[in-house]
Amino acid sequence: MFDFAIGGMQAPIFLLMITGFTVGIVGGFVGVGGGYMVTPALIVFGFPGYIASGTDATHIAGKGVIASIRHRQLGNIDWTLALTMVGGTMLGVELGVRLLNYTKSIGLSGPALLTGSVLIMFGLFLYTQIETHRAHKKIHEISEQGETVGRELKTSKVHIWFQSIPILPIVKCTHARVVISMWAIVLVGVATGVLAGFFGVGGGFIRVPALVYVIGATTHIGVGTDLVEIVVSGAYGAMRQTMSGNVDMMAVLFMILGAMIGAQFGSIATSFVRGPAIRYILSYSLILATTGALLRLIYVLTGQKIEFLAFFAVVFTLGEMLFLCLFIVSLVIFSVRHTHGKPVPKWVPPLVVAAT
Amino acid sequence: MAENHRTRGTIKFVVWSIASVAMVYFVVHSYNSGQMVRWYYYQTKTDGYAINVNSFKDATKEKPAVLQIQPGVQKIEGRVAVPVKKGDRLPEGANGVIDKKVLEAGKRAKLEGDKLVVIAPWEIKDSKGFKYKDTFIHKGVQTNPWSGVWNVAVVIALGLCLGLMAEGFTDFMGWKIKKIEHYGH
Repeated sequence: MFDFAIGGMQAPIFLLMITGFTVGIVGGFVGVGGGYMVTPALIVFGFPGYIASGTDATHIAGKGVIASIRHRQLGNIDWTLALTMVGGTMLGVELGVRLLNYTKSIGLSGPALLTGSVLIMFGLFLYTQIETHRAHKKIHEISEQGETVGRELKTSKVHIWFQSIPILPIVKCTHARVVISMWAIVLVGVATGVLAGFFGVGGGFIRVPALVYVIGATTHIGVGTDLVEIVVSGAYGAMRQTMSGNVDMMAVLFMILGAMIGAQFGSIATSFVRGPAIRYILSYSLILATTGALLRLIYVLTGQKIEFLAFFAVVFTLGEMLFLCLFIVSLVIFSVRHTHGKPVPKWVPPLVVAAT
Repeated sequence: MAENHRTRGTIKFVVWSIASVAMVYFVVHSYNSGQMVRWYYYQTKTDGYAINVNSFKDATKEKPAVLQIQPGVQKIEGRVAVPVKKGDRLPEGANGVIDKKVLEAGKRAKLEGDKLVVIAPWEIKDSKGFKYKDTFIHKGVQTNPWSGVWNVAVVIALGLCLGLMAEGFTDFMGWKIKKIEHYGH
């Protein structure tokens, strides 16, 4: 047990490190900060709500740096795309925070936040799930015909419309092989930033699908580029949270130490899979987070009287971290088995690439 | 060629390991020496009484905690309450301020002569639908504004050291992390 002088409570160090580790795996693989998983976990460990939220935001910035370094080595970052988007993201986050304060001032924040997050996450889950399922099926068909399949395959055509917007200046993102109006990138940054600021999260689970489906980057580049955005938005969030007195730096340190190992595994695991595998994990994390948020929404709307709903929401949120980690580990193991000609489930080959 | 790569990896791992250990030591030392805590409990943002919440966390309605009011005290030890005004530096050992409005309401704490009586040291609140015990800790406290910049710089530097150390470790072990071929077959 460690005595957190700022948090004003005691908590076991290993629990914080395990939390950092598991969220590091998921974050490194899918490119999300994992705020929707860490804040509830910290509250369960006994941290007051505001310290949990601030400590989480600060650890996300550090974890983002660690994962970005590994994704840079893997060639998953398009710096032109990342730096073009940063300004829009910052502006969006600020607008989102102001929108949140406005809803708070009219007494709507709790239900508005939860209803909004449930609707957006469920919509994203549906789209990602349907599109990824189609891509999965298509890869399977191509393989059946004896043809080779690349690292990425997506069936969505939304990015073609965005790439055809002729408003100058046009930006050439060489690494992502995307030529698009700068304003389209900034717009995506602002829109995802508003949602991130309003919901008090890093915004990765909104930005990665936007980078893939709207901008047209590959899933791997979407993940790496998003992590750079998370560093910037996380640092900004960390500064605001510290100035509001919501951060315990020792808790941040323990979580970053755990995240250092987890983020390595999660980032390197992306090299074992195709784009649709990452999108599947992203969509599952979305539906699990949606279910947790839905339980909390019902709890809030029923006047906070049905106690087991709050309890289930916590169990669900913690359970999803474990589930997603096991899924990612399984994919890596299946990839290695598949490379060595050992039997794997039928749905696996289209999702993995040969381990080298 | 492979030997050169491994030597570079070893140097990278050693250098960034040292930097990481130094950063971790720096954070732990700043925290344990009380520097971070002093920056956190920097000054008051409300009129009231500076207190140390830990001294009365077991108080109940039936068994209230009685705090002695001692104006001008520089260090709070035990059940002591120090009158403060908005913008004052917090006395050492204080980790919260009981607002005058809370005392006027008299539900959680009240004034009785030269004593401050705490009846309810915590109440249940919720954040994003999750319940937690909300105490007087951190209340009425203004953090040093520079600590925001400092925390961000430390977290980024820590992430950089640990990330490069991990990268150096895989190079040192000879594990080849190749760039992903995004568009090939």
